[in-house]
Amino acid sequence: MGIGTYLALASVLFGVGAAGFLARRNMLIQLMSIELMLNSVNVLLLAFNRVNPSNHDGQVFAFFVIAVAAAEAALGLAILIAYYRVTKTLNTDDATLLKY
Amino acid sequence: MSQLMGVSPLLLLVAAGLAIMLVDGFTKERAELASVTAVSLFVAAALAGTMLASGNVAPAPDVITRYLAVDQLALFFDVVICVGAGLSVLLAGGYLREHGFERGEFYVLILFTAFGAMVLARAVDLLSIFLGLETMSLGAYALVAYRRTSARAVEGAVKYFLLGSFAAAILLFGSALLYGATGHTDLAGIGQVVAAGQADATLTVLALVMLIVGLAFKLGAVPFHMWVPDAYEGAVTPVTTFMSVGIKAAAVAVLLRVLVGAFGDPASMGLYTGWTPVIMLLAVITMVYGNLAALAQTSVKRMLAYSSVAHAGYILVGLAAVHEVGSFAVSSVLYYIAAYTFSNVLAFGSLILMGSKGKEAVSYDDLAGAGRRHPVAAFPFVIGVLSLLGMPPTAGFFGKYYVFSAAVQAGGPMIWVAVIGVLASAVGAYYYLKVIVYLFMREPEEDQPIAVPMRSMYVTVTLVLAGYYVVKMGITPSRYLDWAVSAASSLVG
Repeated sequence: MGIGTYLALASVLFGVGAAGFLARRNMLIQLMSIELMLNSVNVLLLAFNRVNPSNHDGQVFAFFVIAVAAAEAALGLAILIAYYRVTKTLNTDDATLLKY
Repeated sequence: MSQLMGVSPLLLLVAAGLAIMLVDGFTKERAELASVTAVSLFVAAALAGTMLASGNVAPAPDVITRYLAVDQLALFFDVVICVGAGLSVLLAGGYLREHGFERGEFYVLILFTAFGAMVLARAVDLLSIFLGLETMSLGAYALVAYRRTSARAVEGAVKYFLLGSFAAAILLFGSALLYGATGHTDLAGIGQVVAAGQADATLTVLALVMLIVGLAFKLGAVPFHMWVPDAYEGAVTPVTTFMSVGIKAAAVAVLLRVLVGAFGDPASMGLYTGWTPVIMLLAVITMVYGNLAALAQTSVKRMLAYSSVAHAGYILVGLAAVHEVGSFAVSSVLYYIAAYTFSNVLAFGSLILMGSKGKEAVSYDDLAGAGRRHPVAAFPFVIGVLSLLGMPPTAGFFGKYYVFSAAVQAGGPMIWVAVIGVLASAVGAYYYLKVIVYLFMREPEEDQPIAVPMRSMYVTVTLVLAGYYVVKMGITPSRYLDWAVSAASSLVG
C-alpha cells in the first residue's frame, strides 16, 4: 500500500473526530473525539516514518503523542468531574454562565 | 556542568517545583510558599538576564540544542516569562490568602506551567513544540480549575480544556503533515527543505495553515479567541494575570520560531506569498474585534480579557512586518511583549488590590468611587490602564510606537494595517479611561458594596515593581530595545 492510503485513513479518522467534537453536545463524547484526532496523528506519523526510514523520528514522536494523550485525558476527566459536581450536567448547551 | 548553564533557568524551575511539592506534602501549616516560589522565578530570570546582558551564551551540548535552542531569543523569553510568573505568584500570595483558598499545589502548578512555557519558547523541533505546548497547557487547565467549587471557574476550565485540546490536535496533525512533507521534525531541517523547494507544496501549505491555527489559538487571536474571555473570567485573578502574560509570550515566541525560523526565507517570500497576508488578516480582525468587544463589557476582568485579545492583534502587526524590516520588526514584537507583561500585571494587580475578603472587585460598578476614597491604592490602576492604552510616558506607548513604525516602514498594505491599528487603539481609549472615570468621578449606588482595598505586602511589592518598570520602559526605552534587538539577532541576521 502506498502512502496515499495511510494519508486517506488518517484524514478520515481526523475528520470523524473533528466532526464529532463540533457536532456532539456531550463533553465526554467531545473528549473521546479529541482522542480519536490524536490517534489519527499517530497513524500519520508511523506512515510517514516508513517513507523516511533514515531515522525513527516519526515513531518516537508517536510514543510521545500516546503518553501526552493519556495525561491530557486524565486531566480532562478530572475537570469534567469537577464540572459535573458543581452543575450536575455535561451538556455544552448548559454551559452558559460565562458570556457577554 | 557549565554545559548546562544555557538551560539553567529551566532546571532551576523544575528543582524548585519538585522541592515545593515535597515541602507542601510534609508540612502542616502554610509555609511562605509564595515568596519561595517568587524568589526562585526571579533568580531564574536573573540568571537568564545576566547571560542575555553579557551577550555570551555558554554553548550547550548537541543533545539539548537539537530540541531546545540556547540563544539570545530563548533567554529573552526566559526573562519575560519568569518575571511575569514571578509577579503573578506574588499577587497570588496576597490574593489567595485574603480570599481564603491558598493551597500548596497552586505554586507547583504555576512553576511547571512557566517551565512548559519556557520550553515552548525555545523549542526548535516539532516534538519539543508539542511537549512544551502540552506541559504549559495542562498546567494552565488545572490552574483555571483551581477554585473547583466555583461554577464559573469549572465552566471556564471546561471550555478552555475542550477548545485547547481541539486546537492542540489540529496543531499536531499539522506537525505530522509537515514531517511527511519534508522528512524532518527539526525546524532548521524543515526550513532548508522548504527553501530548496523540495517539499510537497500542498502538504506544506496545509501543514502551515494547521500550525498557524493551533498557535493563533494559544495566542488568543480572533477568530480563535472564544476561550479567552471565559477562561480569563473564570480563573482566579492571579492565574488570569499569568495566562495573559506568560502563555501569550510563549505563543509569540513559538510563532516567531516557526514562521520566521522555518518559513521565513525572505528570498522566497514576497508580500502576497507565504504567510504574511494570513498574519496581516489575523492582525486586523483581532485588533478590530478585540477592541469593539471590550467596549461592550460591564466586567473589568472581562474587559481586560478582550483587551488582551486586542494586544495579540498589535503583536501580530509586528510579526506581519517581518518580511520587509526583519530585525526591527522582530525586536518591536519582543519589546511589545515585555512592555505588555508589566502593564498587564499592573492592571490585574490593581484589580486584585481593590478587592478584599468577600468583596472582590470585578465590574466597573464595584470600582465606583473607590479612587476618591483610596487614591493611593487606585493610582497604580491609572498607570496600568494608561500604559495598556499606550499613553506616554509609559512602556505601552513605546510598544505600540515600535510595532506601528515597523509596519509603516514595511510599506505597501502594511501602512493601512498600521492605520487600522491606530484607529482600533483609539477605540480602546473609551473602555480604558472608563476605569479611571468610575474610580474617580462616579459615586456608588446606595446599597452597592464599595470596593475596599486589601492590605497585603505581596500585592504592594508587585505593584511597585511593575509600576517602576512600566514608567522606566516608557522613559528610557532604548536600553530595553537594545536587549530586544540582540535577542532578535539570533533569529534574523
